[in-house]
Amino acid sequence: MKRCLPLFMVVIGLTLPVFGGETLEKTVVERFKSADTKEVPNFRRHVVPLMGRLGCNGRACHGSFQGQGGFRRSLFGYDFDMDHGNLTKADEENKKDARVDLDFPEDSLMVLKPTLDMPHKGGKRMDVNRWEYNLFMNWIKAGAKNVDLEKEAKFEKLEVTPKEIVFQGNDESVQLKAIAVWSDGSREDVTPMCRFKSNDDQIANIDENGLVEVGKSGDTHVVVFYDNGVVPIPVMRPVSKQNGDDYPEVEAPTIVDQLVVQKLRKLGIVPSEKSADAEFLRRVRIDITGTLPTAAEVESFLNDTSDDKRARKINELLETPEYAAWWTTKLCDLTGNNDDNLNNVVPRVGNRYASTDWFEWINKRVQDNMPYDELMAGIVVANSRNPGESYRDYCEKMSEIYRPDSKVSFAENRQDMPYYWARRNFRTPEERAIGFAYTFMGIRIQCAQCHKHPFDQWTQVDFKQFTNFFTSVAGYRARPTGEAAKEYNALVEELGIKKLRGNELRRKLPEMIRAGKTVPFSEVMAIKPRPNNNRRPNNRNQPVSSRRAKLLGAEVIDLTKIDDSRKPLMDWLRRKENPYFAKAFVNRVWAGYFNVGIVDPPDDLSLANPPSNQALLDHLAMGFIDNNFDMKWLHREIANSRTYQTSWVPNEANRLDERNFSHSIPRRMPAEVAYDALQQATSSNSEVDKIRVASRAIALPSAGRRSQNRGTTGYALTIFGRSIRESNCDCDRTSEASLLQTIYLQNDKDVQALIDRDRGGWLNSVANDLGLAKKKAIANRPPNYEKILASLKARVKKFRKAGNEGQTKAAQVKLDQYLKRFGDDGSKKKKGDVKVDSIDAVIKQAYLRTVNRYPSNVELDRTTAYIEASEDKVDGIRDVLWALLNTKEFIVNR
Amino acid sequence: MTLHKTCDGVKRRDMMKLGVLGSMSLTLPKFLRMAHAGEVNDAPAKSAIFINLPGGPSHMDSFDLKPNAGEDYRGEFNPIKTNVDGIEISEHLPKLAQTMDKFVILRGVTHTLAAHRLGQEYVNAGTKPLPSLEYPGYGSVVTKELGSPKDLPPFVAIPNTNQRPGFLGVKYAALNTGGSPQPGRPFSVRGIALNNGQTVEQVQKRQGLLKDLDATFSGFEKNNQLLDGLDQFSQQAYAMITSKRARAAFDISKESPAFTKKFGTQVFDQSCLLATRLVESGVRFVTLTLGGWDTHRDNWNRLSERNLPQLDSGLSSLLVGLEEKGLLESTAVFVTGEFGRTPKINRERGGRDHYPRCMFMLLAGGGVRGGQVIGESNENATLPASKGYSPDDVAASFYHNMGIDHTKEYHTATGRPIMIVRDGTVIPELFS
Repeated sequence: MKRCLPLFMVVIGLTLPVFGGETLEKTVVERFKSADTKEVPNFRRHVVPLMGRLGCNGRACHGSFQGQGGFRRSLFGYDFDMDHGNLTKADEENKKDARVDLDFPEDSLMVLKPTLDMPHKGGKRMDVNRWEYNLFMNWIKAGAKNVDLEKEAKFEKLEVTPKEIVFQGNDESVQLKAIAVWSDGSREDVTPMCRFKSNDDQIANIDENGLVEVGKSGDTHVVVFYDNGVVPIPVMRPVSKQNGDDYPEVEAPTIVDQLVVQKLRKLGIVPSEKSADAEFLRRVRIDITGTLPTAAEVESFLNDTSDDKRARKINELLETPEYAAWWTTKLCDLTGNNDDNLNNVVPRVGNRYASTDWFEWINKRVQDNMPYDELMAGIVVANSRNPGESYRDYCEKMSEIYRPDSKVSFAENRQDMPYYWARRNFRTPEERAIGFAYTFMGIRIQCAQCHKHPFDQWTQVDFKQFTNFFTSVAGYRARPTGEAAKEYNALVEELGIKKLRGNELRRKLPEMIRAGKTVPFSEVMAIKPRPNNNRRPNNRNQPVSSRRAKLLGAEVIDLTKIDDSRKPLMDWLRRKENPYFAKAFVNRVWAGYFNVGIVDPPDDLSLANPPSNQALLDHLAMGFIDNNFDMKWLHREIANSRTYQTSWVPNEANRLDERNFSHSIPRRMPAEVAYDALQQATSSNSEVDKIRVASRAIALPSAGRRSQNRGTTGYALTIFGRSIRESNCDCDRTSEASLLQTIYLQNDKDVQALIDRDRGGWLNSVANDLGLAKKKAIANRPPNYEKILASLKARVKKFRKAGNEGQTKAAQVKLDQYLKRFGDDGSKKKKGDVKVDSIDAVIKQAYLRTVNRYPSNVELDRTTAYIEASEDKVDGIRDVLWALLNTKEFIVNR
Repeated sequence: MTLHKTCDGVKRRDMMKLGVLGSMSLTLPKFLRMAHAGEVNDAPAKSAIFINLPGGPSHMDSFDLKPNAGEDYRGEFNPIKTNVDGIEISEHLPKLAQTMDKFVILRGVTHTLAAHRLGQEYVNAGTKPLPSLEYPGYGSVVTKELGSPKDLPPFVAIPNTNQRPGFLGVKYAALNTGGSPQPGRPFSVRGIALNNGQTVEQVQKRQGLLKDLDATFSGFEKNNQLLDGLDQFSQQAYAMITSKRARAAFDISKESPAFTKKFGTQVFDQSCLLATRLVESGVRFVTLTLGGWDTHRDNWNRLSERNLPQLDSGLSSLLVGLEEKGLLESTAVFVTGEFGRTPKINRERGGRDHYPRCMFMLLAGGGVRGGQVIGESNENATLPASKGYSPDDVAASFYHNMGIDHTKEYHTATGRPIMIVRDGTVIPELFS
């Protein structure tokens, strides 16, 4: 043994002469300048990165999944075995020689092609006898050895200097230096083998050698890639001279403000003024509750003279059911609550879907302000059965919940919300790994399913090892297996439906639920990993279990020792040092208030996409954890900050800032909010008071194609970009503007109907108040008006008595339409309606209910003149309301 | 029964005459060489009409009959001759038989998604649906690539469509008319039509008011993409609502009686009439829908009494109408359902069930040379006779017909590069 050791070292010394704890100050450029060098480069450390630098494994070149010219490299590198094999083995099938020729190294295609000594579609990539050439030649001459990932030192980290770049003037540039650190303590300057990228090359350009050049003022990051190291370096150039010590005194009452201003100070950006009360109220109403303030609410807030009225308003809003509904909608976006993916998960009884349970379950917990980690644990480690419940008990309870007149609610009776695991697009281990990382961690690991993640450290091996958590967990079972199978069989025997399958069974179950029977339900349950089973089971839905799985960026878990492999995942998410769980949520909440996340896009917490303000993100995430994942703490922390309450009106220095929160950014109201705002702004005051949260679009449980095609809400919500909850991306929801949205607001029959409605319409109510009732309508009445009216009313009554909901509704619609055309003004005064008595008052009301502020004198004059000049005053008022609904100020949250 | 039929309803000797029919003798490289030499019609179509047949039309009872198949497969209908020698289609499509020279039947198109929704997503986007990404439908891609006049909506769906803008974003969504036109009745398109007796003058007047009131962000619009965009869309919407051309485009009563007479009086006929009118006005992409093809039960009665006659009447008038207006050369027509139906009859229910492995699609217009059958199915129409075509191939061909390079890459919001059609190859015979 003793004799082996020196020999072993000699071998290592021969093949890897430069490693073993030493530091290589000189780069490969110098070391391989001369063809005489004896140094043997390493496949992982030198050859692969250099090929990446030369562009060989680009997507359009050999990195393509089909390869190029019969030669394929792994996209973005890191599949060493494949890359080595493709270089050193001949392609028998296509009769192509290997890319390296060990006998005659100079004749290797690997050097002949990129130097254009042989035709190369990819053009010339390097010169003969330069360092790149010498490096490849020395590797081939030494036998073109692959890396031994087990034995060789591991990559530890990449150290890049300088750690931050602040440019002051034109024509400045800074050279980056990157040192790779390996687990044996060796260090090497690898700058010439790194890949560089600027996140905004308008602000900082970076060339292929790592030279950063100053651009426009602002801030961004340049990113350095080597092996699986990804290091972002902040680069900024102050926007004004007022930076650093010359920065003016700025109000920063909260920690959030101090952290924001700390960054703004470096950039020379001065925040905007504090927003006016009306501006603040509208903004905070929309952001916290997804609704507009009512006219009365605006007036009372403006009249309140106390100092703490904003803080009180924030607290008040956090207690409303609208807050719970709106943030539940956002959590449903994240978790993918979509009917289309829940087909047949529960029997279809009336209008109740699994998506309804999903929404209500979360809604109740948001309302109760259950800590975020507990709420999510109820989804992550969900089982359909409550603890200790037998399959039979479970079915009894669920059948009871699903009876039309049930007093038992899913949200209250069920401990967990299992449908997340029943989603049709969440069944394979890969889908689950990707979806899980998206929902709970805000990262996109799908790239690593097929190749090294281009913007993060994840390799295909990481992906695979993480996916192992999902190979055997949480089966979704249409019918139970194991012990419960007996209970299932007994149940279907009792019900006499043993022979029924598929659609026939599905049609039968709702009937039986209605008839008070207990029917079988599908269930989600943890499946104990069975790693000894090496054969693929008969059931295709149960893949072979894995013995070990690895948390992303953390330790390996032995799955054979646990009964539910989701538990270690949840424990890991809850750890204080978990880099994703709390951050992903606070960042998404922040994005809800500021239009952009601290990390943006908010669902891309990758290394190459660093936060615009690291200290701020850390503060919020740590605070959230320290406050026991209290969601309302987070909302208060953000909404009470001066940063949130700044005006949208920019100043010269912050006019172009969109990522450092120096002013509020005008953004379009989200789809549901816009839809509800239209309803509310066109409703009479008494009608507004009657709007129930459940009838608002912010409380619609499901998304998906089926609900998109449903009724009038569907079209509007679709064109305004409600989340489709389909593809593991926050971009499933969009707040872009579009032509169809504008056409909808300007001229759609649905919007016109909202404005012109008699029942509950604001226009109708003010017309009555002003005595401008619809004389025209009465004049146009047909002679048999009374008779028709009576018969229409009789029909409604008849159907209602017969208990036929559908027909009653249809008859009511007909009656309403008729009344609208010819009816009386319908001006039975509703209680609580304040009568308006002047055009002035009407205009004020119109402003308060749409843009939630008083009109200016100019606006008052213009609108008054318009109404006065209208032949029919009601038409004039209608046009004013229409115009206000079509201002940018209405559809935009500012 | 006529003699000497091959399994695809084409007489043997006609194979010779038609040359490339059903074979792969014209290869893509050869085709590209021919295209380069100006030997094929390569003038791209400028607009398109996509007819969706949701439910999945039975290929064996419409465009891919197997009269000699056993009774478990054959079905009740007989083939009839068309105006192209050697091509035969169902007896319930007599009008289309007389317009066979204007369109191409693709037989033996094949895929594997037997669920309605997934199949619909597939045939409306030309790329197999993925759980992690929503692909844009044809209409969204075409309008993104080719644009549209300022005062017309670029992409109109009558009454709605399964083609979604996907990762291209809501900008490229279809304008859903929400209803379908009916003869002798005024047809109002949501958002375009002036409702409640409004006049253009009134619209202009209120627009003046809007311009004055919409001043809060004055001077700051250029700093913010959203505000700037809203202004542009507002102008465009106004131009559209007040445009005579836009309203006239949707008003089928403005069509000459002589032309209108060609079209039947059913909803689908009138939708076809509207589609020709929209295309003539400059609308880039129109989708139509004719549903009811999910004939698990009572297949032959439903097809012969309702579906086939409707399709026959509407589509034949559409093709004739387009040609008469000189629009067929500049309008790509694409007709497809999400799958075919089981060749083996479901006796218990008198129907056929979902079957994606063998189906038909129809193409016409633009550079497509009508009067051909391309591809073939096997003996019992259970599979393509040879390799068959995928929906991706048809998609690539359709885009080719519109002058769009189907290998062009878009970037999703996550920065991922996605080809318009990744796995498709243009079918050269279409354009030869």
